[in-house]
Amino acid sequence: MAAPMELSCWGGDWGLPSLHPESLTVMAYAKFSGAPLAVNTINNSWRAPKGDLPVLVSEDIVISQPAKILNFLRKQKYNADYDLSAKQGADTLAYIALLEEKLLPALLHTFWIEAENYCSVTKPWFASKIAFPLSLYLPGKMSREALNRILLTKGGPPLYSLTEVEAQIYRDAKECLNLLSKRLGTSQFFFGDTPTTLDAFVFGFLAPIYKVCFPRVQLQEHLKQLPNLCRFCDDILTSYFRLTVSGHAPAGQDTADANLQKLTQLVNKESNLIEKMDDNLRKSPQHPPRKLTTLKLAAGGEESSPISRLSP
Amino acid sequence: AAEPWPENAALYQQLKEEQILLSDNASSLAVQAFLQMCNLPIRVICRANAEYMSPSGKVPFIHVGNQVVSELGPIVQFVKAKGHSLSDGLDEVQKAEMKAYMELVNNMLLTAELYLQWCDDVTVEEITHPRYGSPYPWPLNRILSYQKQWEVRRKMKAIGWAGKTLEQVLEDVDQCCHALSQRLGTQPYFFNKQPTELDALVFGHLFTILTTQLITDELSEKVKNYSNLTAFCRRIEQQYFEGHEKDSSTIAARSSKRSLLR
Repeated sequence: MAAPMELSCWGGDWGLPSLHPESLTVMAYAKFSGAPLAVNTINNSWRAPKGDLPVLVSEDIVISQPAKILNFLRKQKYNADYDLSAKQGADTLAYIALLEEKLLPALLHTFWIEAENYCSVTKPWFASKIAFPLSLYLPGKMSREALNRILLTKGGPPLYSLTEVEAQIYRDAKECLNLLSKRLGTSQFFFGDTPTTLDAFVFGFLAPIYKVCFPRVQLQEHLKQLPNLCRFCDDILTSYFRLTVSGHAPAGQDTADANLQKLTQLVNKESNLIEKMDDNLRKSPQHPPRKLTTLKLAAGGEESSPISRLSP
Repeated sequence: AAEPWPENAALYQQLKEEQILLSDNASSLAVQAFLQMCNLPIRVICRANAEYMSPSGKVPFIHVGNQVVSELGPIVQFVKAKGHSLSDGLDEVQKAEMKAYMELVNNMLLTAELYLQWCDDVTVEEITHPRYGSPYPWPLNRILSYQKQWEVRRKMKAIGWAGKTLEQVLEDVDQCCHALSQRLGTQPYFFNKQPTELDALVFGHLFTILTTQLITDELSEKVKNYSNLTAFCRRIEQQYFEGHEKDSSTIAARSSKRSLLR
């Protein structure tokens, strides 16, 4: 516990600390439980990822999968599930299984298999983070692994073509998002007011879908229709990740919002001024015109009589 | 309006005595339990080529009227379309929980069973290969079992279970049973008074694990650690499976499977 623990994982963009769902899960859990974690994002160095990321290194112990990393952190007394009842702990396992079965295939598909997304966003991004020769090979390998996983687990008969499998996994993912939204309801986190392991996993899976800008975004659009899940992601991002990693997007939005506010205030002031001016104008001496009209009538009457007098 | 359930509805699975494996037996028992809970009569027919007859390649499958549906998920939906459902009384959050727990069982228990019977070399040699190919003559039996083994190992590798040792798999089973035990608590069924498809699924898997003789007893020991789960299995067996004399195949098989519950 004395030596700092180091986490190697993929970096982030678009306002997220990491783009990789498993890395994000571990980072979120570390923040929730208060574990001091030195985060190394993989960044174009020759310290190539050993196998799967994220990898936790602590005093010569190397642990590689998120579930094992979380177990290790719990044993080191960084436990975010301390207040949970046994039944809630059981629910956590069940919901994590649901996420892995139903949501993960669609997530993998959106990132790695959908041709437009992969070629324009995922592959360049990941390739830019890895050193040169490996960057030609590794994204392709991750894509092939993702496709393999989806086909082997979801692609048996009666689904015979990739498009049918895709349709099925997106249906499952949307149903899963709906179920999560119903479970979350209006509370801040899944089990009350403090975040737990389940919140870390849900955040890890949802945030990439929510934030990364892809050309083909059917899952993101579905997610945006579930406002409580969006609010959940945003809350965690603003409270636990102070967005030190290229967080310019929300900061930019903040200044834009501030500008907009100032503008609306100015416009309101202007319209108030105009109204006041209107009122003043109405109250101000416009009587002379009215008096003139009455005079004209009177003058008309008077004039007509002199005219009549003059005629003969 | 519920459509009538035909008299000759049949459930197909592999041969009970010689051929069927742990995971397939669990799935089949889950479907049988579900149909019993819905009060829908069904005959169990054992065929050596049941796996190949099934539309999705997985057993069990049911043949009702002129429709064939396989696997618990689609069967539950099919039965619901006919007007029978066990989970109508649940609210939305409970339905979400039920689906999550069903995924947990599929993810952990079913995968652990598959791992044990296809990736653990001892079990493969002594139990799985002889049983799986038993209806066929040599060399077909060896070829079919190797083919199936290769397929299952590929899948395990894709989901990351290939690197696990047997101890880790057993630990996962333990964790899953712990979660199920906590969720069940002291209630008779998972959602208190009424059984649902989750109860059928859990019963199918746990009962099969408890009553199947493998090389070692480690798997069944993990389940036996949780007394409320064994009581749950016994209760469902007594309520839904005993006293159905016409279903002689299941009873005869159970007694020969050295039921460890008695």
